[in-house]
Amino acid sequence: MTPPSAGPSEPSAESVDGPTAPEPVAPLLDVRGLRYRYPGASTDALAGLDLSVAAGEFVAVVGANGSGKSTLARLLGGLERPAGASTAVACSHDLLSEDGRMAARRDVGVLFQNPENQLVAECVEDDVAFGLENLAWAPEAIRARVDEMLERFWLTELKTREPHLLSGGQKQRTALAGVLAVPRRALVLDEPTAMLDPAGRDEVLEAVRGLRAGGLAVLYVTQEMDEVVGADRVVALEAGTVVYTGSVGGLFGDGALVRRLGLGLPAAGELALELAAVGREFAPLPLTLDEMLVALGGSS
Amino acid sequence: MTGPLRGLALACRGVSFSYEEARAAIPALRDVSFKLGAGRSLALLGASGSGKSTLLQVIKGLDAPEAGEVLLDDVPAAAAAGAELRRQVGLVFQTPELQLFATSAREDVAFGPRRLGWQEPDVAAAVDEALALVGLPPEQFGGRHPYALSGGEQRRLALAGVLAMRPRLLLLDEPFVSLDPATRRELAKILLRLRADGVSLVLATHDVDLAWALCDEVLVLDAGRVVAAGPWDLGEAGRELREASRLREPFLVDLWRRLGRDVASAPRTVAEAAEALR
Amino acid sequence: MKPAIAQYYPGDSVVHRLDARAKFVAVTGLAIALFVRDSFAGLAVFAAAGVIAYVLSGVPAAWFWRAFRPLLWLVGLTFLAQVLFAPGEPFFSFWIFHFSWAGLEFAAFLSLRLLVLVLIGSVLTLTTAPLALTDGLAWLGRPLRRLRVPTDELALMVTIALRFIPTLLVELDQIMRAQRARGADFGSGGPIRRAKALVPVLTPLFVLSFRRADELALAMEARCYRPGLVRTRLHPLRAGIGDAVLLGLTVVVIVAGLLV
Repeated sequence: MTPPSAGPSEPSAESVDGPTAPEPVAPLLDVRGLRYRYPGASTDALAGLDLSVAAGEFVAVVGANGSGKSTLARLLGGLERPAGASTAVACSHDLLSEDGRMAARRDVGVLFQNPENQLVAECVEDDVAFGLENLAWAPEAIRARVDEMLERFWLTELKTREPHLLSGGQKQRTALAGVLAVPRRALVLDEPTAMLDPAGRDEVLEAVRGLRAGGLAVLYVTQEMDEVVGADRVVALEAGTVVYTGSVGGLFGDGALVRRLGLGLPAAGELALELAAVGREFAPLPLTLDEMLVALGGSS
Repeated sequence: MTGPLRGLALACRGVSFSYEEARAAIPALRDVSFKLGAGRSLALLGASGSGKSTLLQVIKGLDAPEAGEVLLDDVPAAAAAGAELRRQVGLVFQTPELQLFATSAREDVAFGPRRLGWQEPDVAAAVDEALALVGLPPEQFGGRHPYALSGGEQRRLALAGVLAMRPRLLLLDEPFVSLDPATRRELAKILLRLRADGVSLVLATHDVDLAWALCDEVLVLDAGRVVAAGPWDLGEAGRELREASRLREPFLVDLWRRLGRDVASAPRTVAEAAEALR
Repeated sequence: MKPAIAQYYPGDSVVHRLDARAKFVAVTGLAIALFVRDSFAGLAVFAAAGVIAYVLSGVPAAWFWRAFRPLLWLVGLTFLAQVLFAPGEPFFSFWIFHFSWAGLEFAAFLSLRLLVLVLIGSVLTLTTAPLALTDGLAWLGRPLRRLRVPTDELALMVTIALRFIPTLLVELDQIMRAQRARGADFGSGGPIRRAKALVPVLTPLFVLSFRRADELALAMEARCYRPGLVRTRLHPLRAGIGDAVLLGLTVVVIVAGLLV
């Protein structure tokens, strides 16, 4: 494991992620009554889901295994066709039409959970270039863009390394660089840290942190409640529908809902709920160690 | 099952191991020594590539150490007398899909006991018991196809496949990875039950909070070397080591320290912590 | 755990820098000439060309030997078969085997021919990245597109296969370990028993591979891949003067080899 040698790239105004649209009125991702059923399945994976994400917004999506998180990621990326009755728009492309989905694949990036299964090429830089090659960019333009991405995700020194020789964190950063090499307006990350060790997780989170600066709409799917803290908004899924949307604190404050959804709280929140059960309540719910210390200090 | 299981005592003495790669031998373990008493539980911590998986496989005997030895109940595991003891060591791999192959859950779990040469009625009893223990009631799950199960269920089935062989020392390689929090808690409960039954545990994990809740002792590996071993090392030196290997301290330990309380008696569970703080 | 083919040795020699297409054409040309020509003198010319190319490639002998060694079996086998069954006036006979000087000579010739072929082929694979080679082949195969042969897709397929060979080997190793941990024994018993022991190994390997294929396809689509698309490349194939020189020299070597 190699810790990133440089800090995260500065969130800069001239970030190339998507045109700097002057009218950020309509949300970039907007779905209503979204339905989807896998071929041969007996129940809907998504059963009338409503969600919208604006440019520059960072929305976390949580829910138990099988609640529809990954399916949502696939649909928003234009990778599956939503069922007929849905309204589904991604970066102003209609996801119900074939052409709309193809266009959405350009504007909406999707990063998947297993880094091993998304790297195609034989070395890092070829992999980062893959999307641009598909879009038939000129070789010089690909070179420039790839170098920029390698730099941004601290991969320059690894550019000729074969994927199977990379650590988990390095693989996932390569995959992220490959997804963002294509200029995107929205990005869906489907549990990008689930299969990584803490060092790899830190690497990827560090890379993710700089994302929304460029006006990118980010949908961050996760099981790790620590990673939810800091999102603009959190959306909780259950059986393919949204059962909560709002602030992070609001979700964790509703202990019954958290339990029902099979979510875990950050350790501090867990302790706070346990304390509430024995008669010592905190409002708002402390979610980090520091908040917990303040709460304990303040109330004792 | 008759009576509680008794755990195996484990010791490693100067264990070294390297992988043969194209151009050079890459050391994965260097002079690893530690002891774990019968029925005790050990958290094996360290970054990916620090040698955790290799150590588990050397203990199980899938790789022979180049130097040093593994002792089970004080018997060298590589010796003839150690062979039977080594069969009593169970190893659960990280990815359940790597371990499941049969057409039904019951058949899959029966694989190990049959290899031990048990009689069919004994095999059936062991299978039912193991499935029940991991929360997959045999009458409901026994006939299901392993690949038709959810990720969490597959993980538990893989565990059952090892538990059916009635291990006295259980080695687990990253059992919590990519499980949702509720499933993680379920699994932790199963491990606590095994611990209460007296099974010795070695748990390789990145989740320090679960490790703290489940394990009596800790062993931290960095680049194949032991950098900390024994009871959870709570001193300043331990903190530096953890930082070097990018390990977080367990939340409850950190909280206790920052509250100025005695860290040596920090609670293992949030329930205990809440009781102490009410 | 490496596949037993001449492994690419990353480097920056003259030979490395040549275009994959030129190298492939040169090697193919030499191979054909090698099989047309049936004299030791011709063989010597081609062998010399192969040795010079190898020396220029700067590939360490140990690396070369690792790739070369497994193929010696093939050469040895060819030699034996020819010695034992070749016609000619026998100077020694035993059961169905007849040794003759003509047979020995013929066997030596055939084995040497195979050796030279392997040498020349190895220089190609040792100095050309698999990716460049597949791209080169796809380019050379372009006329086949007229016949609706999806050459670019095939090339991508080969690339992906190469990319996943190491991953698959690691996975196979893990599966066998998991089985051994549960008491499986792959080393003993008769062939039927051994074959049976492989079922539990191959099942998860296939299941995992299918899932991998599924996920990979999705990730490729998410990065705008569509079959039949005209793609550009980060490293486009670029032929230069060196490649013209290579092809020219190859023609000279072939002519020399055929005429001596």
